[in-house]
Amino acid sequence: MLYIIFYFQVHQPFRVSKYSFFDIGSSKSYFDEELNRYVFNKVAEKCYLPANEMFKNLILRGEGLFKISYSITGTFIEQAKLYRPEVYKSFLDLIQTGGVELIAETYYHSLASIFDLEEFLEQVSEHLELMKREFGAEPSVFRNTELIYFDKLSDVLMNFPQIKTVLIEGADRILMGDSPLYPRLSYNHAHLLLLKHYKLSDDIAFRFSDRSWKEYPLTAEKYVKWIKDLTLIEREGKNLYLGLFMDYETFGEHQWKETGIFEFMEKTIELLLKEREIKFLFPSEVHHTLNYTPKGLSVPTPTSWADTERDLSAWLSNSLQWNAMKTVYELLNKAKEKGRDDLIPLLKKLTTSDHFYYMCIKYFQDGDVHKYFSPYDLPENAYKYYINILADIEEKMEE
Amino acid sequence: MKVLMLTWEYPPFIVGGLGMACYGLFKALSSLGVKIKMLLPTREEVFFEINIPDEADYPLAKKENGEPLSPEPLSFFTYFYEIPQESAYAEIKTIIELAKVELPQKTELKEVPDEVINRLKEILTKGDSLLYKVSQYLQNVVKLSQKISFDLIHAHDWLTYPAGLFLKKIYKKPLIAHLHATEFDRALGYGHPVIHEIEYLGLHYCDCAIAVSNYTKGIAVEHYHLPPEKIQVVHNGFTAKEKIVKKVKKFKEPVILFLGRLTPQKGPTIFLDIAKKVLSYGVKARFVIAGAGEMERELMLEAGSLGIGTHIMFTGFLTREEVERALTLADIVVMPSVSEPFGIVALEAMYFECAPILSKQSGVSEVVENAYKVDFWDIDKMVEIIVDLINHPDKLKELQKKAKAEVEKFTWDEPAKKVKALYERVLKEGSCYT
Repeated sequence: MLYIIFYFQVHQPFRVSKYSFFDIGSSKSYFDEELNRYVFNKVAEKCYLPANEMFKNLILRGEGLFKISYSITGTFIEQAKLYRPEVYKSFLDLIQTGGVELIAETYYHSLASIFDLEEFLEQVSEHLELMKREFGAEPSVFRNTELIYFDKLSDVLMNFPQIKTVLIEGADRILMGDSPLYPRLSYNHAHLLLLKHYKLSDDIAFRFSDRSWKEYPLTAEKYVKWIKDLTLIEREGKNLYLGLFMDYETFGEHQWKETGIFEFMEKTIELLLKEREIKFLFPSEVHHTLNYTPKGLSVPTPTSWADTERDLSAWLSNSLQWNAMKTVYELLNKAKEKGRDDLIPLLKKLTTSDHFYYMCIKYFQDGDVHKYFSPYDLPENAYKYYINILADIEEKMEE
Repeated sequence: MKVLMLTWEYPPFIVGGLGMACYGLFKALSSLGVKIKMLLPTREEVFFEINIPDEADYPLAKKENGEPLSPEPLSFFTYFYEIPQESAYAEIKTIIELAKVELPQKTELKEVPDEVINRLKEILTKGDSLLYKVSQYLQNVVKLSQKISFDLIHAHDWLTYPAGLFLKKIYKKPLIAHLHATEFDRALGYGHPVIHEIEYLGLHYCDCAIAVSNYTKGIAVEHYHLPPEKIQVVHNGFTAKEKIVKKVKKFKEPVILFLGRLTPQKGPTIFLDIAKKVLSYGVKARFVIAGAGEMERELMLEAGSLGIGTHIMFTGFLTREEVERALTLADIVVMPSVSEPFGIVALEAMYFECAPILSKQSGVSEVVENAYKVDFWDIDKMVEIIVDLINHPDKLKELQKKAKAEVEKFTWDEPAKKVKALYERVLKEGSCYT
């Protein structure tokens, strides 16, 4: 049997304002309310609302056979309630169909797991509480920001006994020739690791509308054939698990509706539901369906799903990013020590990984992707605004 | 006395200190009764008149026929390369032949040899885009000058020297070459060979050379082999715009400011090294790098790698108003220029009650008393001074007050008087050799 696990990441950051050196000490807001509202509404129109509608219908039509999973960040929920309650409502409706599993992550979509484990535990707890409060959900599956994973993370996650499964990137350098279709055990055997099949995931997420791609245009028939071909590698009857993990904004935002992405998805699901040897599964259900003991997998250095490097370099490849990140966690600790409840939520919002993504100056293809997602003209300016804000917070801290 | 001023910058069209120096000097000269016609690198064929000091603030643009140009705004040569229709050589030649000139009967004035003119024609066609603009300016100046009456020509920096030499050749009127900066300062050593040659020719074949400092005169003497008696030093002046300076305390920690373009000449990496050392001693201070330039990314990455959080900050490009705001919140200003002909920023810093630490390799360090003067490479010394000032706030305060009091006495009157005296000597004696 081949099981398909769909997992979508839903996230929006609180982008910072163009906060100049001379704004320090003024009452200017750290976050660009207007820009954040604009982006949220734009993506709501293009993606969240139509995609939710599509998946809801697919779930209802699938009569319990079509399943998907989401991780929704705390900052997203805050923005949805603030800027577009209709989007929040539409997620509630979608979740109530029963065809959706919710996954745990850090509330602020941060890199706390790299810089500050205490803060990491706090942010995961905050997210677990949020899932319970908003959706009555008690996730047993975890995914770290942008699928960042390394051996130690599994140790740290033992603080949350309810977490049994972790989603990770099926990076070549950790699989070393093995297939990502077989789930693995963390090095300490505490968690089941589900691997992203990056080729088939990125065929949809990145290449779908790329006219220079030799497989363009990608049809549902072709894609389903590729999925069926995957089963050829298994001769002993072991169940296979295809992890199709991607940003939810793939549907309608990264791939516009004019590209035919919605029709493609509907058709693909329809075809897959007809296959006898293929089923959809929630990530938490993998445990019960395994008909073999998974092999262990060691990931000594962090992997992620970002950029071609699939490591931390999207957020930590230059000294601007490093200094900014180091400083925000230092200030956050200081604020906690001093019990500055006015500053803590602001600093937490500043831990969101996107802020550091905008400071990336790697060039070539990835640079293009970074530029596409950045609201600032230059990585240097993203850094300046961010550091000015931190300086302002630092000054306030002394009051 | 009517002076034809050739300059590349004048407010509001300024890139560096040249425009501000011209403004101060021209205004003061005008109050001494000197009538100024100014030619700028405008696309339109216009000149500007400053007859009374107030006109220095908003000089009037006039067309060739003397009619005022209004209300059209002026556009300057934009910085993209335009390929000349014909070679610049041909165009220059034609215009010179067409120029109808009444020659004065003075003979004691040294002539510009034909070889110099021919050489200039040749090197200006070696054209990158800037040299092309220089030859365009030259042609514009030669054309317009036929309708303007003047007694002498005063050219500011190399960009206008070719035009000055051509005018001197055509009209046999004295040329004063003002040296505000040399290619050696800009390039930190040998720079563009054509620019060096133009500086050389301008300084040698003018009738009087003026340097903004002894430091700059030294460069002309040493590198351009100019006889020391041929070049006079007239230090820049300073005019304070506002009368009241109100210091602002933006940060709890003292602020140490670098203000200037982020280019090797201004020494921003030296400033970073200073910051690194001071902070490594555990001294609480905030270092601010204000300005834009080609070194920005390099400097930011270097600063970031020190992991000192928000203690080294970058402002990016500052408007004139923001420059003043930056100065009002700074406690100490460091000018670690590797080679600085004058360095007006030091006087501004003093005016805004900042304690100045100045590179000895600067002109301004020759004329101010209440400032620390240190060799640009002596990082340890500058660190020592900064730490000392931070640890002794009274000493810092005292220096700030003294610096302010000193700079308040600065005017452009003295420099203008010196320049006017040189004009008179050149007109009378044909040169200003000491």
